[in-house]
Amino acid sequence: MARLKSETRDFLRGMAFISPWLVGFLAFTLIPIGLSLYYSFCDYSLLQPPLFKGLANYRLLARDSVFWKVVFNTAIYALMALPLGMVVALGAAMLLNMKLRGQSIYRTIIFLPSLVPAVASAMLWLWLFNAKLGLINLALQKLGVSNPPGWLTDVRWAMPALVIMSFWGIGNSVIIYLAGLQDVPRELYEAASIDGANTARKIWHVTLPFISPVIFFNLIMGIIGTLQVFAVPYIMTQGGPARSTYFYTMYLYDNAFNYLKMGYANAMAWIQLLIVLALTALAAWSSKRWVHYQG
Amino acid sequence: MIAALAASALFLLAFGPRAGDALPKDRVIVDYWEKWTGDEEAGMRQIVNDFNETVGRDKHIFVRYLSTSAIEQKTLVAAAAGVPPDVAGLFNQNIPQFGAMDALEPLEDLATARGITADSYKKVFWDECHYDGHLYGLVSSAYDLALYYNKQLYAQGASSLRAHGLYPDRPPQTIAELDEYAKALDRIDPSGRILLAGYLPMEPNWYINYMGIWFGGSWWNDKEKKFTFTDPGEVRAFTWIQSYSRRLGPQAVAAFQSGFGAFDTPQNSFLAPTVTMVQQGTFFAHFIHHQKPSMDGQWAAAPFPSFDPKLKDATYCNCDVLVIPRGAKNKQQAFEFIAYVNRQDVMEKLANLHCKISPLAKVSENFLSHHSNPYIRVFDRLAASPNAHPTEPVPILPEVNDEMTNFTQRLALLQVTPGEGLREVQERVQMKYDQFMEDQRERRRKQQ
Amino acid sequence: MTSNVKQNPLIASRSRQDMKQTDSAPVVAGRKRAGRAPKVLGHLTLISICALAVFPFLWMVSTSLKTQEGATAFPPALWPTPIQWHNYADIFHHEKADFLLWTRNTLVIAVLAVTGTTLSSALVAYGFARLRFRGRNMLFVLMLSTMMLPFPVTMVSLFALFRWLGDHSGMAWLGTFKPLWVPAWFGSAFNIFLLRQFFTTIPTELSESARLDGCSEFGIFWRIILPLAKPALIVVALFAFMATWNDFLGPLIYLQRPEQFTLVLGLQNFQSQAGNTPWHLLMAASVLVILPAIVLFFLAQKSFIEGIATTGMKG
Repeated sequence: MARLKSETRDFLRGMAFISPWLVGFLAFTLIPIGLSLYYSFCDYSLLQPPLFKGLANYRLLARDSVFWKVVFNTAIYALMALPLGMVVALGAAMLLNMKLRGQSIYRTIIFLPSLVPAVASAMLWLWLFNAKLGLINLALQKLGVSNPPGWLTDVRWAMPALVIMSFWGIGNSVIIYLAGLQDVPRELYEAASIDGANTARKIWHVTLPFISPVIFFNLIMGIIGTLQVFAVPYIMTQGGPARSTYFYTMYLYDNAFNYLKMGYANAMAWIQLLIVLALTALAAWSSKRWVHYQG
Repeated sequence: MIAALAASALFLLAFGPRAGDALPKDRVIVDYWEKWTGDEEAGMRQIVNDFNETVGRDKHIFVRYLSTSAIEQKTLVAAAAGVPPDVAGLFNQNIPQFGAMDALEPLEDLATARGITADSYKKVFWDECHYDGHLYGLVSSAYDLALYYNKQLYAQGASSLRAHGLYPDRPPQTIAELDEYAKALDRIDPSGRILLAGYLPMEPNWYINYMGIWFGGSWWNDKEKKFTFTDPGEVRAFTWIQSYSRRLGPQAVAAFQSGFGAFDTPQNSFLAPTVTMVQQGTFFAHFIHHQKPSMDGQWAAAPFPSFDPKLKDATYCNCDVLVIPRGAKNKQQAFEFIAYVNRQDVMEKLANLHCKISPLAKVSENFLSHHSNPYIRVFDRLAASPNAHPTEPVPILPEVNDEMTNFTQRLALLQVTPGEGLREVQERVQMKYDQFMEDQRERRRKQQ
Repeated sequence: MTSNVKQNPLIASRSRQDMKQTDSAPVVAGRKRAGRAPKVLGHLTLISICALAVFPFLWMVSTSLKTQEGATAFPPALWPTPIQWHNYADIFHHEKADFLLWTRNTLVIAVLAVTGTTLSSALVAYGFARLRFRGRNMLFVLMLSTMMLPFPVTMVSLFALFRWLGDHSGMAWLGTFKPLWVPAWFGSAFNIFLLRQFFTTIPTELSESARLDGCSEFGIFWRIILPLAKPALIVVALFAFMATWNDFLGPLIYLQRPEQFTLVLGLQNFQSQAGNTPWHLLMAASVLVILPAIVLFFLAQKSFIEGIATTGMKG
């Protein structure tokens, strides 16, 4: 009798503490998700009541060439920005991990750009990438490049410009990698040295496996982040030129708030959710092969 | 340090500016969202002030003018959110979409009660304020398009013009002649960079979707409610547009267009000058005078030439409209303001400030003779001509515009042929339109 | 190779805190007796990376101090002459942009959101970390999984929900600040996660002895655990502040009237208006928008770094 009572007491107490989250979850997550699923089967503009249409939205999406274009663009962006970004961030973290004077200054400087809001960042890089007056082309011209790319006005260079820009803000990934690197015990490196390993082999056999959970974490967050890219291209290129920087969430947003096709937008959102889940599951499954949890 | 920051933040919170601080308390506040900035904003603000001090004072109404970007989208979302402004300044092409989506209050009853009827307006503009039988807005500011040409550059290029069998003392009368003038007046450096373009259809590209008008084409058949992007006039128009990319090279054209290209600066292509001729609206005269007064008297305006010389005085007419979004709190008072703007004296004052034509049927001689655009009579005549073309009343205009933007960008880059591109646009938008109309019919059925 | 390594990086532990003391981390570059060469190379590479990171800032400041013609001049000069300090004052008086009002709006939302999320996330994290109850682990995993939810899935329905609330709750929701800070008072998965990690590192003996002394659970939370959690709370508050300050999509959807705009929304609105982009003013405004973030970061740096290490964010 007493045990049952205490278990119930514990349960109630636990629930009391987590109740804010629970209520919020119901109100701002679960119910909206349910509504969103329902709306994805409707035509809904908010100005008029929803009109149930079954799978019509999904069928339309399958035939929508703009949908496929944004899927393609988002995939390309993710494939370019994510791996490169991770490599750059990890490399920077390794450099910042070295025993050098002034490391705290270096770390701060590299971290700072990630604090900049997307809007300010977009303005700045819009200015830097300006084909005629921007600093980047000016620098390229000084270096002897006779015909510098048109960047954001050129169909072939707009996406690379955005990828390059994404490297500026990798500061928070760097910090996370750094924290992980600092955990690697010195003894392991010393042992490897004794075994005759050089730097590259140390990185491959000691560092990477040890921080593989961190890499995994950043990979998941990276996938979720790049698949939702919105603010920067929305402000810088509005998806142009010729939809070359038109991404998934932008088309979703346009459908919802420009064309007021909220049902269609919700169908897109659900597809996005399923893709994110699938990729995360894939990463998690593959993680068994390369992520080493200690202990 | 942190304490100091916190203190200044608290100070700002407590004593900083607050929205809606300086509004009169004894009047109904009418929120008026408008897209205009700069001189156009100044012009409308004068009208708003006039109203607040006369009719507003009598009827206890105070109009609050707010300038905002992306006005169409903001108004739509605000209406969807249930918190719209009382008056919104949209473009006439928004009326079909907003009307079809029940985003606007119909105004025909209020208008008839006020004695505002079809006879009060030039037909083009009255039509543009309607959709599906309802009057959804009234005009605030109207204009149409003509050819602006630089007389001085004509004179400078006189020998070249004459060598091509053309006339430096008059503008081109047909599209074919326009092409010849353009070629004769182009100045291109050996590397292919365009130094001075005689004419370039993509500059500006504001009205490029309507170029078909001068080729006898149209992309919308209102009787059958069908898109006609593949109409031969349209194909001809876009082939012509693409011919400039072909002749000058797509890179040269793109390079020419990029750069600040800001309309309202001395670097505007007509003012720099980097083009000799542009197709522009009535208001352009004001910008020329404002940004480069030294050019006054050196330019002229004439009807934009057509492909077929028999198609005379063709033009595209556009206007800014004042609408009342659905769910607006102060509908009656909002209409008071809208009706005021459409009084002949007020309209003419605003049109003069904005350097635009009057959409009203009756135009005073005083207006025409004292207008800031020396060629106002040309513009006025064009707007009343039988070949004055309104905006197509299509409810899915944002989608159409996005498709057309994509198409024209690819067209200029020579990535697609006009026929192919137009066919793609046609398929996509027709599909969207049919879907949209079907949904609307379903809705109406369910409501019965 | 993994033989002598201790713990699961997913759960922070005290021994990691000890290791954190050694700020000079193991030399990845290997040979301890190595010459200066790797260090010099390291310095050079880092300096170039930092130059690339910092240069855009410098350019932003430089442009912000030019005149409009100077800003759009070609070729662009590196340093403005004369320096237009008044640009910064001009922004505040600009007829089309009310940066002061927008700053105030952003502060209101930020203060409300940060307070709400810190308190509520701490409360919930305590529940997950320090209490045992049936279903706890399942709910925790559920909460973690919501971190993966892309915003667009709920974006439109939340909009519709707030519209419905506005119609039925007697007060407006859309077109006010409420949608931007009220949800924060119900905890945020990310912050709950961070704080929970931290709370699990606090020895259970502390709670035990307090319980024996008759202290209520909430009392333990409020008087013992929270004070110990200051670094982690600072991290959470900082992240929350940055998120609110920089949030673009939220205000874009929920705020309808220009007088309610937040700074970033106002900045974008200002930029997208009228063809004549005043780059010098835009850059000045951008500098101002970035400033608080940087200032706060410097102020809270120590706690910040400490907080990251101890909340085991890396795992």
